[in-house]
Parts: sequence; structure tokens; C-alpha cells
Amino acid sequence: MTNKIYRSIIFTSMSVLIISLILIMGIIFGLFEEQTIRELKNEANYIAYSIEKNGTSFFDDFDKNDNRITLVSEDGSVIADTAADANTLDNHLDRKEIQLAIQNGSGTEIRYSETLTEKTIYYALKLSDGSILRVSTTQYTIITVLLGLVQPLIIVLILALIFTFFMSSKISKSIINPINNINLDDPENNDTYEELTPFLSKIATQKNTIKKQLDEAYQMQNEFKLITDNMSEGLLIIDNKTNLLSYNSAALKLLKAENTDGKSVLTLNRTQSFRDVINKVLSGHRAENKMQYEDMVYNLIANPVVENNNVIGAVIIIIDITESAEREELRREFTANVSHELKTPLTSISGFAELMKDGTTPAETVKDFSKSIYDESQRLISLVNDIIKISELDEKNIEYTHESVDLYELSGEVINRLKHAAEKKNITISLFGDTGIVYGVRKILDEMIFNICDNAIKYNKQDGAVDIIITSTDNKVKLSVRDTGIGIPYSEQNRIFERFYRVDKGRSKAVGGTGLGLSIVKHGALYHNAEISVDSIVDKGTTITITFNKY
Amino acid sequence: MRNRFDEQLQTLNTELITMGALCEEAISNAVKYLIENNESLKNDVYDTDRQIDQKERDIENLCMRLLLMQQPVASDLRKISSALKMISDMERIGDQASDIAEIAHFVNISGYTTQVHIEEMAKLTIKMVTDSIDSFVKTDIEIAKNVIEQDNNVDEMFIKIKNELILGIQTGHDNAEALLDLMMIAKYFERIGDHAENIAEWVIYSITGRHK
Repeated sequence: MTNKIYRSIIFTSMSVLIISLILIMGIIFGLFEEQTIRELKNEANYIAYSIEKNGTSFFDDFDKNDNRITLVSEDGSVIADTAADANTLDNHLDRKEIQLAIQNGSGTEIRYSETLTEKTIYYALKLSDGSILRVSTTQYTIITVLLGLVQPLIIVLILALIFTFFMSSKISKSIINPINNINLDDPENNDTYEELTPFLSKIATQKNTIKKQLDEAYQMQNEFKLITDNMSEGLLIIDNKTNLLSYNSAALKLLKAENTDGKSVLTLNRTQSFRDVINKVLSGHRAENKMQYEDMVYNLIANPVVENNNVIGAVIIIIDITESAEREELRREFTANVSHELKTPLTSISGFAELMKDGTTPAETVKDFSKSIYDESQRLISLVNDIIKISELDEKNIEYTHESVDLYELSGEVINRLKHAAEKKNITISLFGDTGIVYGVRKILDEMIFNICDNAIKYNKQDGAVDIIITSTDNKVKLSVRDTGIGIPYSEQNRIFERFYRVDKGRSKAVGGTGLGLSIVKHGALYHNAEISVDSIVDKGTTITITFNKY
Repeated sequence: MRNRFDEQLQTLNTELITMGALCEEAISNAVKYLIENNESLKNDVYDTDRQIDQKERDIENLCMRLLLMQQPVASDLRKISSALKMISDMERIGDQASDIAEIAHFVNISGYTTQVHIEEMAKLTIKMVTDSIDSFVKTDIEIAKNVIEQDNNVDEMFIKIKNELILGIQTGHDNAEALLDLMMIAKYFERIGDHAENIAEWVIYSITGRHK
């Protein structure tokens, strides 16, 4: 900037200097020449007058340093001259001023020396006797004057250069310093010259716009992050080179991976199903696949991101379906179990009936068969009943009448009903404790106690014992059923509440029952918000405790 | 130019991960086939082996192109040269997985006393392969060193199995031919372990520049 200013100032001052020099010289020299010619004319007139009066003697005492005066005769020969000996000079007839004087009475002529450094101005006047008087004076030409001016000009130039240097640096500083000192964080509050104001206000508005847009972008990013980070589904965004562009924390958690910024998504997971999904989606098709990873099951859904018919990336969503996969597995198992359990008694019934159909079976056997058919039907009925009960409990929306139920009294009723079964194995059932009032559904509570006690008898040993203990505290009522039976191995304890689950599958037929008893208990407890705990030692006995909340 | 190089290196990385994943698949399917004898698994192994061979050629081409056209130096050069080494180890793992599947076609592992140990050895080698690929994916020297350690366990297990098989042949209770087949299978596992160890060593080389 300083340089530019410096150069332009120099250029301007130089051109001003040169132009003014030329103009001044031109004008002054013109005027000067005219003046000289006029003076020459006057001098010539005086001399002519003196010559006409006194003759040529005038030449003898003429000051030689003054203008040169020549007297030329009519035929051109020099009669007298103040600067040189008249005899040495050649004929002057061909000189232009002489010619002009002969023709017009007077003539002016300017001649330049060979080197152009000097010029001579001639004025010739025709005297009355026909001879011609010529006065001439020599001057420096413009060039000589200019050459003479070189030295002062150079001094002026140097002064100009120095002055310009200081000036330009000062100007540029005064231009640039305010710009340098602008506080761009607050463009509108600056002490600058007014030419900068529009510039600064423009910066200020743009600054505000940028800030607003950035804020918006940040907010959107934050929103996006907030949404994606609070998703339980994993989200991955990749480019078409499989590089990971974005992800949420759930994705990393589900894939059990660490932070891998900017790397290939395959570093997170490289199982076949995952790779298949990536390959398919990057070829431009929506992909969906189940992925088994360690003990989890995920559903991968991937959508390609298409721009101008090119796949530029993909969005992958990972959904944890482990639980629903497990549930589906359970449901399948349940259906299979139900069909199996239903089919077994029906097969027996159908078999016995087929044998009796012909009528050839002896009456005694028919009796036996009928009993078997009856037993199997009973089993079928109780099974269907149990399934209905469980389905009812599953369907939460069935309305039951809630009432206050005394568990102690209810347990007494159950014991009465089970007395007969207990006597067969010589099992003593005893009821301990005091009234424990719960607010609930009598039918379900009855079912629960009955099933637990029924199991306590069924899986008991000969001459065993079943104790029902009811204790109530300030806000809880506890019902424990303790038996001296075969016990449940620890590893099976959390499975016994599953439908149709049997610890000893081989014995189930002998013991009877539907395999749904404890499942009903569990559902009943869930219905009443009660907790069940199992405490069992193999071959020593089992205690099942249900803890109800008092209302 | 430089961008393109980085992109190609990235591609090399992804391709290697894919090839590693294929190896894991090949060997785990081979083991599954050995235990379950499900015929479709065998074809899976063969298919995966073919894919591995194809990948080896692809990656080799890519490496050659990178070497010739980009003339990489320092860590880039190490990465590419170790990649070239690694793919041949991976390719061998694929081959041996299909060899195991081939033998498994004729011998049913269940019922032999050494079954437990072979299954355990299979588990160990699968873990070695997985870990060696993991060490590459995560550029983690610790995992790589761990893989090299694990090879000792696999070698020990091989000697154990060998002794059991010798005993089996000596007592003459079992079919000696089947026992030899089992021996071969154990040997293949041992070799796979060695290849996994090699991969781990190359991973260490590509990171540190030192190779044992």
C-alpha cells in the first residue's frame, strides 16, 4: 500500500513538474523572442539613423560585447561588422533576412547553431542608400536552458522523492492503521474514518447472520444428538466407502464397540449378516436382516442415501430384538407343549374307544377302559381349565370383584379340599399363624394357595409334612408353604414358573398335573403385585413364600 | 493424488477386515460342521474359502497398484507390505478350514475320548483368529501380543491330543483310520493357530516397524 501511494505521488508530482516546465518554457521563450526582436528593431532604427548621419565611423568605437551589427552593401558584400573583420566575411546576399530586407525594407530571421545549443536572431533594415543594416543577437535555446536547469531539477527531484516518501508513509499509515485497529468482534463500535463505515456495518450484519446460522446449526446438531443419543435403537450413518460418518451411543453399546471415528464401519462389526446388509444397501437397495451377535439378536434395517442416482451413503438402524426373539421362542415352545399335552390324553381316549368300538371287549375290560377314558378326560378337562385360567390372567382386562380375603381362613378351606390327597401319602398338613387380610380376588388367591399346597403334597415323600404359615406385619402379609419333599435343584429354581416346565420330565406322568400350576401361581402373584420367593434344598424340602402388600 | 492414495489405503483396510471376517466365518463353520455334521455347513465353508481366495487376489492387486503407482514410504509402506504378508496367512487359514471340512465329512468326532479336547482346541484357534483380526482392526498391539501368547496353549493342546490318539491306537478300541483323521484335524488347527500368530506378528510390524 505504501509503495503504491509512494509511486502515485511521485508520478503525479513528476508529471506536474515536467508539464509546468514545458508550458512555462514554451510561453516564456515565445515572449522573450518577441521582446528580443522588438529590441533589435529599435536598435536597428537608432543605428540606421546614426549611420545615415555619421557614416560608417560608428562601427569603429562600437562596443564589441554588445549585439553584433553588420552593414551589408546592396550587392551583398559586407561593408562593416562589429564582431569580425569585414574583409573575411563572404557575400551575405543569399541570407534570408537580407533578401527579405531588399524586398520589403526589413526582415527577421532566426537561425540555430549546429549543436542547437544557441540561436541567433537577425533583423535586417534597408537603409536609404540601398545598403542593408543587420543587427543580430545570440540567445541560448530551450535545450541549453533546460540543460542548465538539470542540476536544480535533480535537487528538486530528490527533495520530492524524500518528501513523497515521508508523505506516502504517513498517508498510508493514516489509511491503514484504523483498518488494522478495527475490532472485528464489535465492528460497529470503532473509531475510524467515515469511508469505512459502510464496510464495517456490512461486516456487522454478516457477522450477525453467521452467528445466527451457526447457532441454528448448533441447535439442530444438539437436537439431533439428543434425539439419537436417547434412542434405544442404534443408528449408524456411513458413506459409500463404508466409512462411519455418524453414530449414536446406543449403536456402540449394542455392537459392544469403542469409539472409531472416521474409520470403516466394519471395524465395529464384521459378522456376515452385518456385511451382507452393508453390501446390499451400498448397492442401492433397502436391506433388512437379523444379526446374531454374541448372545444378542439384532434386527438391522438399512436404507441407502441416494443423490443424483448415486448411492452416497446409508443409514443403518440396529434394533435389539433379543427379548422379542426370546418371547417368540417361548411362545413357540408353549404352543408345541400345549399341543403335546392335549394330544397325549386324546390319543389314549381314542385308543381305548377304538378297542371298545367292535363290542368284542369283555365287560370287565370295558370297565377298566371306561375308567381310563374317564381319567384321561378328567386330565384333559383340568388341563383346559388351567389353560383358560392362565389365559384369563394373561388378559389383564377381565374384571374380577375385589374383596378383603383372610388368607388364614382361605388356607383352611384349601386344606380341607386336599385332605384326601394328603391322606393317601400319609402327609400331615398344619396351619400356623393368624388372620392375614389381603385385598384381592378370592378366586385367584384360592387357586394360588391350592396349587402351591397341591405341589407340596404331590412332590412330597411318604409320611411327609406340609406347613402353611401366615404372618402379617404392618404393611405385608406373608404366606409360606413349607414341605419336606424332593426339593428343586438351584439351577432349575427360576424355571419352575414357566408353563409346562417340569424339573423331572420323566416323572410327570406318574405324578400327574398339568405343568401349569406354578405358572398360575406366578400370574396370580403378578396380578396382586405380590412377590414370590423359592427356597429349596434337594431332598430336604421346598419353601415357597408369597409376600402380599396390605391395603 | 494424495487424497486418492489415502482413499486406496482405506479401501485396503476395509478389504482386509472383510477377508479377516471371511476367515473367521470359514473356520467357525468348519468347526460347526465338525461337531454338527450338517451338510450345508460344509458347502458354506467351501464357498467362503473361494471368496477368501478371490479376496486374496483382489487385495494383492490393490497392494501392487499402490506400491507401483504411489511408491509409499515409511508406515504406509509397512502397512502395504504387511498386508501382502497377512493375506497369504489368511488365505492359508481359509484353505485349512476347508481341509478340516473335507476330513470332517468322513469322520464323526462324537464318541471319541479326545472329542472334548479337539472342541476346546477349535475354540482356542477360533479365538486366536478372531483376536488377530481384532488386533488389526483396532491396531492394538496388546491384543496382537496376546494372540502370540495364546499360540502356546494351542500347541500344548495339540500335544495332548496327539498323546491321546497314540493311546487310542495302541489300545486298539477305536478305528485307527478315524483316529488318524482326528490327528490331521488337530494338526490343521495347530497350523491355523500358527497363521493367526503370523498375522498378529505382521500387525505388530505394521505398527512398530519391528518384526520378530
